Amino acid sequence: MKNRKSLFILLAIALLLPTLLAAAQDQTVVRISWWGSQNRHDRTIAAIELYEELNPDIDIVYEFQGWGDHWTKLSTQAAGGELPDIMQHDYARIEEWVANGLLMPLDGYIESGVIDTSHIADSSLAGGMVDGQMYGINLGNNSEVFTLDTDAFAAAGIELPPLDWTWTQFEDIANQIQSELGIHGIGVLTSDQLWKSYYMGCCDQWAYAADGMSLGYEDDQPLIDYYSMLLRLQESGGMQSYEDSVARGDQGVEAQLIVSQEAAMAYHWSNQIVAVWNASGAERNFVMYPIPRPEGGQSQNYIKPSMFFSITSQADHPDEAAAFIDWFVNSIEANEILAAERGVPVSSVVRDSMMPTLGPAQAEMFNYLGIIEMDNSPIRPADPAAHADVIGSIFSPEFVEPVMYGMISPEEAAPYLREEANRILAAQ
Amino acid sequence: MAVASLPRAKRRKRSSFGQDNLVGYLFIGPWLVAFFLFTFIPIAVSLALSFTDYNVLSNSGEFIGLDNFQRMFFEDRRYARSVNATLKYVVFAVPLRLVFALGVAMLLNTWRRGVGVYRAAFYAPSIVGGSIAVAVMWREIFGNDGLVNFTLNLLGIEGPNWLGRPETAIWTLIILAAWQFGSPMLIFLAGLKNIPKHLYESAEIDGANAFQRFLRITLPMLTPIIFFNLIMQLISGFMVFTQAFIVTQGRPLDTTLFYALYVYRRAFELNEMGYASAMAWVMLMVIALLTALVFRSSSYWVHYESDEGPT
Repeated sequence: MKNRKSLFILLAIALLLPTLLAAAQDQTVVRISWWGSQNRHDRTIAAIELYEELNPDIDIVYEFQGWGDHWTKLSTQAAGGELPDIMQHDYARIEEWVANGLLMPLDGYIESGVIDTSHIADSSLAGGMVDGQMYGINLGNNSEVFTLDTDAFAAAGIELPPLDWTWTQFEDIANQIQSELGIHGIGVLTSDQLWKSYYMGCCDQWAYAADGMSLGYEDDQPLIDYYSMLLRLQESGGMQSYEDSVARGDQGVEAQLIVSQEAAMAYHWSNQIVAVWNASGAERNFVMYPIPRPEGGQSQNYIKPSMFFSITSQADHPDEAAAFIDWFVNSIEANEILAAERGVPVSSVVRDSMMPTLGPAQAEMFNYLGIIEMDNSPIRPADPAAHADVIGSIFSPEFVEPVMYGMISPEEAAPYLREEANRILAAQ
Repeated sequence: MAVASLPRAKRRKRSSFGQDNLVGYLFIGPWLVAFFLFTFIPIAVSLALSFTDYNVLSNSGEFIGLDNFQRMFFEDRRYARSVNATLKYVVFAVPLRLVFALGVAMLLNTWRRGVGVYRAAFYAPSIVGGSIAVAVMWREIFGNDGLVNFTLNLLGIEGPNWLGRPETAIWTLIILAAWQFGSPMLIFLAGLKNIPKHLYESAEIDGANAFQRFLRITLPMLTPIIFFNLIMQLISGFMVFTQAFIVTQGRPLDTTLFYALYVYRRAFELNEMGYASAMAWVMLMVIALLTALVFRSSSYWVHYESDEGPT
């Protein structure tokens, strides 16, 4: 009997031991989740490890994934009340998340100085504001870019175009590359990002109306012209065929054709040059160009917060999370590791300290953002809550795919896209 | 003495019976708890959700009656395409897999030497079955510069873009299904072993050739096994997900947008859990109906030896 009793006590101790040990360590666990490429994962983890070294009382538990899985996972966690303390957020989604009460306003931390924004320009912070409150700290400035492989251009005997190149010039160049080098000019250009900003160039409009309740452009013709050009390029090989891109699947920025020298140009976000150049090899030479514009049109580029760190309303340790965000944005050490992979850092102190030590990819990106700052279109309101539905239910399956597979002409598809997208937007 | 001890013995028997039950329930207790928590309750909740427009992100939804079903059947063009893709997959993949499984099982049933190695080898693809690794490998095999096109190239044929063409993409998944015939094969093999040898012996004496023996003995004797495999494969065929999720992502043109994949898209990518629940329940009904039909039909074609009585 006594034996059994001592056995029970032993068992109880064994069961409680891990808890006791954890309590003895007395570390605060801060959970964080982001999306990105392998390059970002490596850099972010290295930065986190440094932070833990500097703050032994903090244990940062991280999760990372690709763009699509990020939202799937986080929205499921939101429903279960299991959101991490810090989540990486995006301009396209932040409004929806704020509307659902899932993010915490950061104004208190900014006022008290826990998150120091004294070296950050107001214009860089504005993107994280929803209804007058700050919900996301911008991690870098970004713009869409056409990256050109200068070695391939030289090999094909093509001169680099002017910075305000037109779509017509672009089409000629893509075709020339195909005929001179036998590789594609560029990968597919059917991204919904290009659709959203396309009407800035010709018509000073945006895919969505300012209130987000309908489409924001009136004339389908520019879109029809653009997709007619894509069909011509697909036919000539100046652009990778849509079929080929489907067969390859979505394998991230590091799998872009320019990396494997199967294309001489690439379209992506400016911060992704770090991952692209890293994957391509240091011996390659790239130069970044703005998006081509229509004849006589204006810039289709705008400067966007690449991504935010937000604190969720389900965070267990918001104070510690805020301190980490402050370090992430303002620390020179941290940003040396992060190497502007999330875009040009917003803190002027960090930017200045990085300038002398920039690698070729970062230098090109800083220079490019400088060019865009001189000539751009103003950023439009964050995407409406139904954006994901418009893209997932209509834009990709009912417009891009049927058009690029030749099932339906752009002339027929564009009005249908308008009609269906308006229906979804109006029903929000 | 005898009279007095009788009720006592009875009582003891009853109480020990009760105790046995209690021990039994205790043993399956963990399973029961998990079943209620993780299976039964979610199923019940999803039924309730199917009549709402519940959104995961806003964590709210309202009762909307049968609107989800109306939308599914009359408004959602992608739903129709996903039904199409799934039906095409089931109609081709299930029979193909069963035929392969039976064929290989018969081969393995006749060979004598080293047969164990072959059995393991043929079963291996199914162990790695619905796994991500296989799906990724399949991408490579049918990719532009993949094994299939490389081989065709050697023969002087320029292979098509298997995964990129709307006509061919679904077939890569059907072939993948046929290749993973391991578990029905194993069951067929067990069934084949159970067919009494003397039937074949007497048939041979009567001069029946191999084809006749297969048609008149193997097939009828195997019908209960075929029946079982058919039901299992029908169900798993309708629920196909991983392959399409990894290999084709439903593309191109929604030709491989299988039902379960579309449910997933709606539920977890667009957060429309209510609509997705409604879709899932329709699928459940369809599978239940088909299974019932197959069961009904079984009296016409499934041959149970016990029906015949002792011979």
